[in-house]
Amino acid sequence: MFACLFVSDFPVQAALRLEPEDTREVLKQSPIAILDGPASLPRVMATNHAARLAGIETNMTKLQAETCGRVWLRKRSSANETSAQTALLDCAISFSPRVESTAPGTVILDLAGTEKLFGSMHAVAQKIALHAASFGFEVNVAIAANPDTAFYAARGFAGIAIIPAGEEAERIGSLPVDVLSTSPEMLEILDSWGIRNFHALALLPPVPLVERLGQEGLKLQKIARCESNRPLVPADTAVDFVESFEFEEPVETLESLTFILNRLLQQVCSRLASCALATNALRLKLELEARQINSEQKKEFYERTWKLPLPVQDSKVLFRLIYLDLEANVQPAPIQKMIVQAMPVKPRSAQSGLFTPASPEPEQLEITLARIRGVVGAADENGITCVGSPRVLDSHKPDSFTVQPFSAIDEDSDSSPAASANISLRIFRPALETTVELANDRPCSVTLRRKKLQVMAASGPWRSSGNWWSNSSAWARDEWDVALKTTEGVGFYRIYLDRIKNQWFVEGGFD
Amino acid sequence: MSSATALRASIEAQIPSAFAVYRRPEQKTILTGISQIDSVTAGIPVSALTEICGSNLASSGKTSVLMSLLAQATQKHFCALVDSNDSFDPVSAETVGVNFSRLLWVRCGKNKSRLKPMEQAFKTTDMLLQSGGFGLIVVDLSGLPERLVRKVPLTTWFRFSRVVEKQRAALVFIEQKPHATSCAGLALNLKAKPAALSGNLLTEFELEAEVVRVREKKSSHSAKPDFSLKAQWA
Repeated sequence: MFACLFVSDFPVQAALRLEPEDTREVLKQSPIAILDGPASLPRVMATNHAARLAGIETNMTKLQAETCGRVWLRKRSSANETSAQTALLDCAISFSPRVESTAPGTVILDLAGTEKLFGSMHAVAQKIALHAASFGFEVNVAIAANPDTAFYAARGFAGIAIIPAGEEAERIGSLPVDVLSTSPEMLEILDSWGIRNFHALALLPPVPLVERLGQEGLKLQKIARCESNRPLVPADTAVDFVESFEFEEPVETLESLTFILNRLLQQVCSRLASCALATNALRLKLELEARQINSEQKKEFYERTWKLPLPVQDSKVLFRLIYLDLEANVQPAPIQKMIVQAMPVKPRSAQSGLFTPASPEPEQLEITLARIRGVVGAADENGITCVGSPRVLDSHKPDSFTVQPFSAIDEDSDSSPAASANISLRIFRPALETTVELANDRPCSVTLRRKKLQVMAASGPWRSSGNWWSNSSAWARDEWDVALKTTEGVGFYRIYLDRIKNQWFVEGGFD
Repeated sequence: MSSATALRASIEAQIPSAFAVYRRPEQKTILTGISQIDSVTAGIPVSALTEICGSNLASSGKTSVLMSLLAQATQKHFCALVDSNDSFDPVSAETVGVNFSRLLWVRCGKNKSRLKPMEQAFKTTDMLLQSGGFGLIVVDLSGLPERLVRKVPLTTWFRFSRVVEKQRAALVFIEQKPHATSCAGLALNLKAKPAALSGNLLTEFELEAEVVRVREKKSSHSAKPDFSLKAQWA
C-alpha cells in the first residue's frame, strides 16, 4: 500500500509554516495571496480558500487582488518552499524509508510492512496527518494500492481517504478530470467531449482514444481506471537539515530577526527529533542587503559555525547560543535572508555513574560559556581562546600552551593522581620589559614596576633557543632565577634576556 | 503536668517539628593537598567563600597553594579558574597534577572590552555560580592593583557568600589582602620565610600560613602552620 501526503495551496502553507501556531491559525482564516513575477508587476500565483471566496484568482495583478478587500499579500520565496518540501519529506521518512518527492507539496511513501508498527491503515493515516500538523502542514492523506491512485485521491479528497484494493476505480470515479496532471489543452478537449470525471474517462474505448489523444490520452485513462503501476522513485533520505527564510523587507533590529530565528530552529530541531537525530554543529548564514555594504567591506554575508561538544536537540539552547553571538556582533547592513543548517548526528546516550563527579548540565554549560565569551572575549591577540581547558604544547618554548573547548562530559576518569605541592610560577602575560644591571656577568639589580630592586641571589644562566629556521617565530634566551629584595619581603622572579631583541624581560614570579 | 509542658505537647501534636533542634549539616571540605594547612583548617569549606591572601610583590606561596588545591579538586570535581590577570601557568599546573579536562580557565582582560578585568571576573563568577555543577570556583584577583579590589563594596562579597551557601561549590578568592570580612568562611594569609638557595638553584620555600578567619572551628583561630614547598627541579 502507498500513502500520499498532499499539502493543498502549498506556497501558502510554506509561507505560513514559520509563523507561530496561534498566528498561523488566525492567518488561515483570512485571505492570503502569494505573489510572484517581476517586482514591477507581480501576479498572484497561489491563494488559500478564504482568498478564493473573496474573489481572488491566480494571475491577478497585485492591484486587482487588493481591490478584492483586505488580503494578506506575501512574496513567493523559493527558499521557503524548498525548506517546506524537505520538512514534508522528513515527516514522511518518520513512517517509511521509501519516500518519493512527487511534486512540490506532494510526497508518496511505501507503507509495505508497517502494519505491525503503526496499526491499521486508518491509524497510520491519522498518525501521518498529526505528525504533519506538528511540522506546520495541514495535509490530505490518501492510502491506496498504487502510487498514482493515492496521489489523485489525496488531491481530490479532503482529509483522510483509505481506498481498499479492488475498489479504486469505483472510489475515485467521482473525481473531476481537472485534478489530472496534464496540459490545459488536453483538459479542454476532454471538457469539449463532455468528460467531466474519472469514471467517464475510464469508460472511453481505448483504441479511438489513442487515435485522437495519443499515448498521453491512454496514460490518463489508465490512471482513471487505476491500472497504472509505476514504481516509486525513492528520494535521497540523506536530507540536509536546512531551514531558510527570506525577509520581504530587510530587517535591522535583533528582535525581528530572533523571532524568525526561533521558528527556524524549532523546525530544524523537530525535524531532527523526527529522524531520531541531534546536532553537534550548527551553521548560521545571514545574507546582507548588498547596497548597504560599504565599498571597502566586500563581505555580503555573515557566517558562523558553532561546534558543540555534545549532540543537542533542544532549540532553546541553540537559540540562546546564536542570540548571544548576534547580540555581540552588530551587522553592518540590514539582513535579507537567514539560513540555519544543522549537521545531523546520533543523540548522546549517556548513563550516569555512581562515581562520576557532579558536572554542569552540558546544554546549560554551553550557554554559560557563550555568555562568558561575550564578557571576556572569544580569543586574545594571538588567537588563543579565552575560555576553555588549558593544554600544554609539546614544545621547549616557555609558556607554550593552548586552550581547548571545555566539555562537561567526563572522559578522563583515569587521570593521573595529584602530585605533592611544589613551587609554582605566576606568569606575566605578556612578559614585562625591564632593565637589569650586571656585575661580573650576573644580575645585581632589576627594575620591576618602576622600582629598582637589589638582587640578593641569582641562579643561572640557562640558555635555550628554538625555531631558528624561522625569522618570525625564532626565540633565544638566557634565563635567570633571582631573589629580589622588595618592601614586602623577598620575591623570587624569573627574568630572561631575549638574545634576538637584546632586551631583558621578567617572565613571572615564583609564588 | 505543668501548663508549659501541656502547651508544648499540644503544639507538637499539631506541628511535630516546632521544637526540633536544627542541626547544621556537617561542613564538607576540599583538601588543599598541603597537610599542614589541611590539619588546621580541615580543608577549603564547600558552600562557603574562602580567601587565600598573600603579597603580590614578595613570594608568598598563594599560587602554589592554588595549584595544589586545583590538583586535589580536579580529581573529584569540575573546577573553574577565573583568572583576572591571565597569570595562570599551565606548565606549573601540569607538574602538580591538575586534571585539565576538568578545569575551565577563563582569561579576563585579554580583549578591549567596555568592562575592566575585575568587572569581567566578577561577572564571570556570577555566571558560573548560576550555572552550577562546578565543585570549586577560584577567582584570582591577586594580579590586580590592591586599591581596585579594596573598592569592591561589601554587598558584593555578601552576595557571593549568600549565593554559594546554597550550592555544593567552594568559592575561593586569591587576593593580596582579605576583603570579604565576615562574609568569608575561611581566610588564610600566606607569608614566605627566607628561602634556601641551594648551590646555584632555588630549591625550597619555607612558608607560614595564618588562619585569619574561620567560621566553623573557633579554636583554630590564629593558628599559624608552617610548611615548605620544593621546586620541581629540586
